[in-house]
Amino acid sequence: MKQKIMWIVWPSFLMAGVMELLVFALVDPQDMHWFGHAFEISRQAVYTLGFFVFWFVIALSSAMTLFLSLPSNEVNQSPL
Amino acid sequence: MSDSKTPSKKVIPIAVSTAPIELPPGADAEMVSLYQAHKKIYPRSVTGLFSRWRWILVFVTQIFFYGLPWLEWGQRQAVLFDLGARRFYIFGLVLYPQDFIYLTGILVISAYSLFLFTAVAGRLWCGYACPQTVYTEMFLWLEKLAEGDRSMRIRRDAAPWTIEKFARKAAKQFMWITLALWTGFTFVGYFTPIHLLATEFITWDLGSWEIFWTFFYAFATWGNAGFMREQVCKYMCPYARFQSAMFDKDTLIVTYDTERGEPRGARSKKADLSTLNLGACVDCSLCVQVCPTGIDIRNGLQYECIGCGACADVCDTVMDKLGYARGLVKYTTEHALEQKWTSAQTLRHVLRPRVLIYTAILGVVVSAMAISLALRIPFKVDVVRDRGSLARIAEGGKIENVFRIQVMNATEATQHFHISVEGLPELKVASETDVVIESTQSRWIAVNLQLPYDGAPAGSHTIHFKIDAPDIGKSVTEKAVFIVPR
Repeated sequence: MKQKIMWIVWPSFLMAGVMELLVFALVDPQDMHWFGHAFEISRQAVYTLGFFVFWFVIALSSAMTLFLSLPSNEVNQSPL
Repeated sequence: MSDSKTPSKKVIPIAVSTAPIELPPGADAEMVSLYQAHKKIYPRSVTGLFSRWRWILVFVTQIFFYGLPWLEWGQRQAVLFDLGARRFYIFGLVLYPQDFIYLTGILVISAYSLFLFTAVAGRLWCGYACPQTVYTEMFLWLEKLAEGDRSMRIRRDAAPWTIEKFARKAAKQFMWITLALWTGFTFVGYFTPIHLLATEFITWDLGSWEIFWTFFYAFATWGNAGFMREQVCKYMCPYARFQSAMFDKDTLIVTYDTERGEPRGARSKKADLSTLNLGACVDCSLCVQVCPTGIDIRNGLQYECIGCGACADVCDTVMDKLGYARGLVKYTTEHALEQKWTSAQTLRHVLRPRVLIYTAILGVVVSAMAISLALRIPFKVDVVRDRGSLARIAEGGKIENVFRIQVMNATEATQHFHISVEGLPELKVASETDVVIESTQSRWIAVNLQLPYDGAPAGSHTIHFKIDAPDIGKSVTEKAVFIVPR
């Protein structure tokens, strides 16, 4: 279980770093609009939140990959 | 039509037991479970040539990491990534996010350096310079200070809690947490001026993001170097798994000389080796005890091996004690072992096509980056057409197009800029043509271009804005389109 968590959390952490670089190299948070309103928080806050949003979303992708790669007998025997 | 006696599904006569799997006697869980139960590894400390090199690199990398933010350059911190202002200061350079290409360049250089080192001598990065190795080494040293070496730690961990055990563990945690916090503080110091950060720390007047990232980075350091250790390399590091793609039979790797070592076995120090039918390996298991990833190098090359050379160091001390030749475990190549090359012969095979190609590519990228940095124009210009109107008639019947030009001054001096336009004979800049921009600042300037009526046929015309910086003798030309309505 611990290993599976690492497989989900760690690659997504790395890729969140890549996304952070790519996105915020091109986008200035102060130019962004949130449903038509400008952000009222500092750039640092957007960078920090952005990193965790990326991390979370990419982690979901990792988790889904891991989930879908379960062999059929494990799915069949799963208590869920 | 269907034959009811024929089952639609094939039944395979295998009994499926739902009983829990019992371990065969003597087998440990590792053999049965696909996910091996993790056993805590207690690396024994080691001294020797490779260990000395690792400590040298620990010092070099950490003096660099902890020291660099404190270095001043003129009136500011020499290396500062000011995320809030989106400016990146690296000594004399001021980079904008638009200079992303240099970051890409650094990443490409890092990747090719890694390929090159790996092709020459395996996991040099992992064994000596990777932060995971470096911080683990430092944390292990602190652990040894508080709790003693491997055997004492094993014994104490197995023993019940006493005041002494608690005190030693607490001392270790105190040192670990202090070092981790200092590391987190330094990390944040690359993004917030560190002198300011230090004052804020003393007066406990930190911004919430500074607190968050200091503790987050400290926590990661503490967890990775104190607890995760070799598991990071074994389960989390992708490099460990594809490094073999860069290996060939001339790559220097930590290798056990099976031919010389086997058959292994204990023997009396006085015994005559020639009469014993034993190899040079005394099976003292020290190479396993010192291994930070807990493998046995005598089983051959394994992906867990980070190439730290601890086993080579400790084996050499054993060989010395017995009066045998050193190098039962050593850096060597597959070819060298097979063909019994001398070390000079082995080294001659370092220069082979793979290594030369990696070096050539690395050389090209490094020089391209150096040239591009040297020729870099220290200001940037963005031209945007005003979205409000395509073209309008200004006073005197002139046709006017409005643009917004962003001029970014990437120098640390105030600069004068002159805006002019080319492309249509009578086209003029009708707004201010001379602007002054403070050091490292940028500004959007509204630029009105006017063309006399009948100055050009209806349609769009390619024009060029020219922005001169006379103080530094450089200029930038940006393409735009001037629209003449029908």
